[in-house]
Amino acid sequence: MAGRVIAENGMAGENVKFDRIRRITGYLVGTTDRFNNAKRAEERDRVKHTLS
Amino acid sequence: MRGTAIACPEMIKKRNGTPVPFDVKKIRDAIRKANEAARMEAISPYQFEELVDEVVEAIPDGDTPNVEQIQDLVEEKLIQNGFARTAKAYILYREEHTKLRKTEADLVKIYRELTFTSAADADIKRENANIDADTSMGTMLKYGSEGANYFVDNYILPKDIAAAHINGDIHIHDKDFYMLTETCCQIDLLKLFHDGFSTGHGYIRQPKSIQSYAALACIAIQANQNEMHGGQSVPNFDYAMAEGVACTYRKEYYDAVQRYFWLEYDCEKALDESFRVALKAAMPERIHMGNVDAYGENLVSWMLGEGGQMLGLQPDEADIRRCHRTSVQIATRKTDMATYQAMESLIHNLNTMNSRAGAQVPFSSINYGTCTTPEARMAIINLLKVTDAGLGNGETAIFPVQIFKVKEGINYNPGDPNYDLFRMAIKVSAKRLFPNFSFLDAPFNLQYYKAGDYNTEVAYMGCRTRVMGNHYDPTREVTCGRGNLSFTSINLPRLGIQAKGDLDAFYKNLDKRMALCCRQLLHRFEIQKKKTVKNYPFLMGQGIWIDSDHLGIDDQVGEILKNGTLSVGFIGLAETLKALTGHHHGESEESRKLGYEIISHMRKYLDEKSEETGLNFTLLATPAEGLSGRFVRMDQKRYGKIPGVTDREYYTNSFHVPVYYPISAFEKIQIEGPYHALTNAGHISYVELDGDTAKNPEAFEAVIRCMKENGVGYGSVNHPVDRDPVCGFTGVIDDVCPRCGRREGEAVSLERLNELRKKYPDVPVYLDANH
Repeated sequence: MAGRVIAENGMAGENVKFDRIRRITGYLVGTTDRFNNAKRAEERDRVKHTLS
Repeated sequence: MRGTAIACPEMIKKRNGTPVPFDVKKIRDAIRKANEAARMEAISPYQFEELVDEVVEAIPDGDTPNVEQIQDLVEEKLIQNGFARTAKAYILYREEHTKLRKTEADLVKIYRELTFTSAADADIKRENANIDADTSMGTMLKYGSEGANYFVDNYILPKDIAAAHINGDIHIHDKDFYMLTETCCQIDLLKLFHDGFSTGHGYIRQPKSIQSYAALACIAIQANQNEMHGGQSVPNFDYAMAEGVACTYRKEYYDAVQRYFWLEYDCEKALDESFRVALKAAMPERIHMGNVDAYGENLVSWMLGEGGQMLGLQPDEADIRRCHRTSVQIATRKTDMATYQAMESLIHNLNTMNSRAGAQVPFSSINYGTCTTPEARMAIINLLKVTDAGLGNGETAIFPVQIFKVKEGINYNPGDPNYDLFRMAIKVSAKRLFPNFSFLDAPFNLQYYKAGDYNTEVAYMGCRTRVMGNHYDPTREVTCGRGNLSFTSINLPRLGIQAKGDLDAFYKNLDKRMALCCRQLLHRFEIQKKKTVKNYPFLMGQGIWIDSDHLGIDDQVGEILKNGTLSVGFIGLAETLKALTGHHHGESEESRKLGYEIISHMRKYLDEKSEETGLNFTLLATPAEGLSGRFVRMDQKRYGKIPGVTDREYYTNSFHVPVYYPISAFEKIQIEGPYHALTNAGHISYVELDGDTAKNPEAFEAVIRCMKENGVGYGSVNHPVDRDPVCGFTGVIDDVCPRCGRREGEAVSLERLNELRKKYPDVPVYLDANH
């Protein structure tokens, strides 16, 4: 998860990443940074399923 | 000698990749040694030279071969020429050497990597995403884990089993815990609370409020988590929390009644404990949310008589009714607020309280949705509200895994008493990814179900674990107090590749692999059996595990562990089918049939094993996290990049249709549904929706209903949940945050954020460090 965001000189958010919550294998992970290499590749490959 | 006529490769690659000149003598030596070890199997000098030639001849032209490839060829030629004993000795020799190579030097190398590389650069530190291996305790945990793995591989496991794990034929999960404990347990909170319990540093009495119920639930999960290597599940969360809600409600009601007479009649005596005790004693039953009217009538008659006398008052009937009505209102409101706070702290606790030397929060799961009392409903409504609201800054909570149990007649259709909770669960899941949905009407779950008895409602744990049937004791086919003992997965795609299209060969090797796994699980079980209650002060000492309350501190747990399951799992059915037929089960009807046959075959094998041993051998659709990359890396090295089989960085999860394959949600569910019935140790199906579709409750519900109608036991919907910590936006973020307009890493002016806060109160407030 994101750390503390600090404001400086009237600006906030420099170098702060977006959180991307994904289900890994049944449980959630707050950021894909903690995924292992294989799971990162799998997450990248996931395609959306249509409802038709 | 014929050898001179054969074209030899010039170079060969050693294991570390350095090329060295090819030396045929090494092949001879290896075969000779194996033959000597085999004894009793004569190879004539002529046969010997012929064998060596065959091996050399079979080396493909072109790329420099590596040692492993040549060893594979030696194995193959020995078998082809009928030298079975020599082949076996050769295989053992190879395995021994594989293990020897993994020497202490390797362990030191691992320790170096753990110590000097950050998790961002070291895959080994990201094996499980729920552990933060950059922290001191996370690294300490990895030191222990890697050391234990080394010890188990080299000194504990039978040699062929160690080799099968090391070379990736099978994967023994949580092998570092081989000598220690079991995977997981389904905790009956009610039993625990009713009996009171001790976590080892003092006795805890039965809780008396919803706040204590929620707090103790967390403590129970944490205490158990520290004694097992998997996750912890509460199968009856709503039933358990309902009691806590009832406690708070009663307390608030009595408080309100007492205050009413104190304030309205200036009667301080009404605040006395003696009045409260007398009131409680006079009523035929305790007040709860379901008997409010009847209780009111009783209160009226008591206050008109004995109760009034006790206070020296003569309240009229209308006034007593008013007292009751307002007290009920106050109690309801205050209980509702207390329940929200209790659920909020439960979620906060389960995302912050550390377990296992501080490296991770407990892997917790809670199941709910079927208890229809007003108290249970209040607990679940508030839990869902809290989940919807998110953590302190609106972040999506990662734990607990929440599982909504879908059941016809209870919450599935309009008119069912908890249908509103089902709808609410859908809405929350569309925003926060939880709850997942389990289906008690799936025939393999329904067979155990008895209305109102939570012990007969199938529960799921985290990744997908399911424990219900019981070969050991068919009278105890219950949820609570049971769990998985250990599980081991088969590298199914490798069997598919090795079969080269020959299905008979495939099944023959599959059976061998199943036999190996069962033998290994029993080997581990023998170790587990000898543990005593004192090895598990909470799990066994406090009676969480079924029947452990009948054991003394020095008694062995072997017999009661038999209520748990020993599971064989698999990953990569899709790649297996691809290797066998050229198509996976998303692509062809024929592969769909074959896939079903293969998994049915595995299930049948384990059912027979259960019959034979009286133990619970079950089939698991393995959740493969670390494993998803491990098997395929090894197979890529062995067999190269086979399209659709080994050409990605991961093998597909269990029986899933591959994630990259475009398919409609409904078709995917229809294809995967039948496998849920076969995988009695646990399963899950996922559907991936885009952000907009997920936000449409009708579309979301259609997917869940489709799962239910197609025999899915456990499923969930994935959709992107992104968050910008700078402006607090939660939703889908592609490249640019839709709220504040920044790209990842960019700064936004505080002016703009202040402006946004007028519209969105959840924009964080910043103090400028330089002003």
